[in-house]
Parts: sequence; structure tokens; C-alpha cells
Amino acid sequence: MPTDHLSTIFAALADPTRRAILARLCTGEASVTELAEPFEMSLPAVSKHLKVLERAGLIARSRDAQWRPCQLHAGPLKNVADWVEHYRRFWTESFDRLDDYIQTLKDKENKSGKQRHNELERG
Amino acid sequence: MASNATTSSNAAEFAYTRVLDPPRAQIFKAFTDVDELKHWWGPRGFQWVSAKLELRPGGVFHYCMRSPQGVDMWGLFVYREVVPSERLVFVNSFSDEKGGVIPNPWIPEMPQEILNVVTFIERDGKTTIHMRGTPINASEAARKLFESSRESMEKGSGGTFQALEEYLATR
Repeated sequence: MPTDHLSTIFAALADPTRRAILARLCTGEASVTELAEPFEMSLPAVSKHLKVLERAGLIARSRDAQWRPCQLHAGPLKNVADWVEHYRRFWTESFDRLDDYIQTLKDKENKSGKQRHNELERG
Repeated sequence: MASNATTSSNAAEFAYTRVLDPPRAQIFKAFTDVDELKHWWGPRGFQWVSAKLELRPGGVFHYCMRSPQGVDMWGLFVYREVVPSERLVFVNSFSDEKGGVIPNPWIPEMPQEILNVVTFIERDGKTTIHMRGTPINASEAARKLFESSRESMEKGSGGTFQALEEYLATR
């Protein structure tokens, strides 16, 4: 995916209305009228948002049916999500390891503390 | 995941908070001392091949890790702000042997550099580490997206994106 296409996807995702439309389409295809229902927005305004999403390759509109239902195309979105997930996993695992590492330091400290204590007791 | 950790993520930024027992000076050292970083930074199963670290604004942490499959991978931090025990700001990317920035080997089309802001707050002898990562040198559109998502998260209305993520997770 070339960078300019990625920018188009990011731009499409930057708008809360368009994100809500995508979320709605996760549950199945819908007509423009159905998609417009939750918003205080005219049909042409919603159509404009749909065009942005369509250009980004995030949705497709059927040419066959008269009501031209919109469908989600999750591929490009998944790329973005994969990337964030990848980064999240990297850091989560590192922080888990940091936790373990600090625990081993503590154990070592306790051990050497005990040793010193024993040595002192033995005189 | 430990109960003392929280994460949130969306296409815009990655935020992570974790509470650890030791005082922050000790945690800061674990973040900035190359011999300590080797013990925890990076995925499990990777071996350290080489690492050098200069802790100062403009200084770098340039390292190489070998994957369990035997592939060497170079990474780079470029430090922007260093406030001992308190705050660390650095740009993180994949790298080559010479210290140049290269694309993410798995998802090459994604932004290459991520700005990380890590803060260490000490309270009652425990340290809260908060980190936030956002891509930089991304397009203007990407930058806008990061801003809008942060806004919606701060207002507590990030729900739609969460629904999307849950959906994507099942794919």
C-alpha cells in the first residue's frame, strides 16, 4: 500500500461521523438512509462522508441493488490496527519482563541481605 | 496482563500505564542503562547482539537483537528530552546496522518513527510509569487523526473505535 493511500485512509478515519458509520457497517450492510438515521445530518452530507470512505477503500457500494447498500471493506483498516497492535504487544511484553527483572533484583537483594545477616549471626 | 497495568490503543496513539514497586530513580535507571535494558527491553526469546547508548538529547540507543529464527534486527531510539528520574522523550524506529531509519519490516507502509513520552511518578514509594506513543513524520492526515482520536478518548467517547477494533480482532 503506497503512502498516499495510507494518508487517504487516515484522513477518512479522522472524522468521528465516518468512524461511527464504519462501526455501524461492522454489523452488516446498510443503505444511506439507514446510515443517516443516528445523525442529525442531511442525506447529501452523509453521502459525502460515504464517498470519502469509498475512496479510501474502506467501504464498497453495491451497483446492483436499487438501494445501493454499503459494505465494510476491512482490509486497509486491519493494516492500521495490526500496526498499533504490534507496537502495543512489543511494549506490553517488555513491561512484563521489566516486572520480572525488578523481582529478580529484589530476590537477589533479599538473599544477599540474608547472607549478611547469617554471617553476622555466625560472627 | 497484570492488574496494575492499563492500556488503550487506537489507530492514533498508544498509551500505557503501569505501576511498579521500586522508587522511580531505580526504574529510570532500568530504562536508561544499557546493561539493564538488555534484561527486559524487547520481546521474549530475542538475544542481544549489540547495543550502545548515549543518554543525552540527540544521543541514541542503537541496538541489535536476534530473533528466535536467527534474524538480526536493528532498532534505534533518538533521545529528545532526558530529565533524570522524571521524564524521557525519544523517537523509536527500526534501524539498519549504520543507525539509519528503516521501515517496519512487517508492515512497511506504516509510519516509521514513533515519538514516545515516558513519565515516572513516585507516590508512596511506588512508581507509576506512563507512556504515550504517537507516530511522527506521518502525513498531515495522520496527524489529524491522532489528534481527533486523543480528543475522543479524553471525552470518554472512544466507543465507536473500540467497536471497530473488537470487530477487527475477530478477523
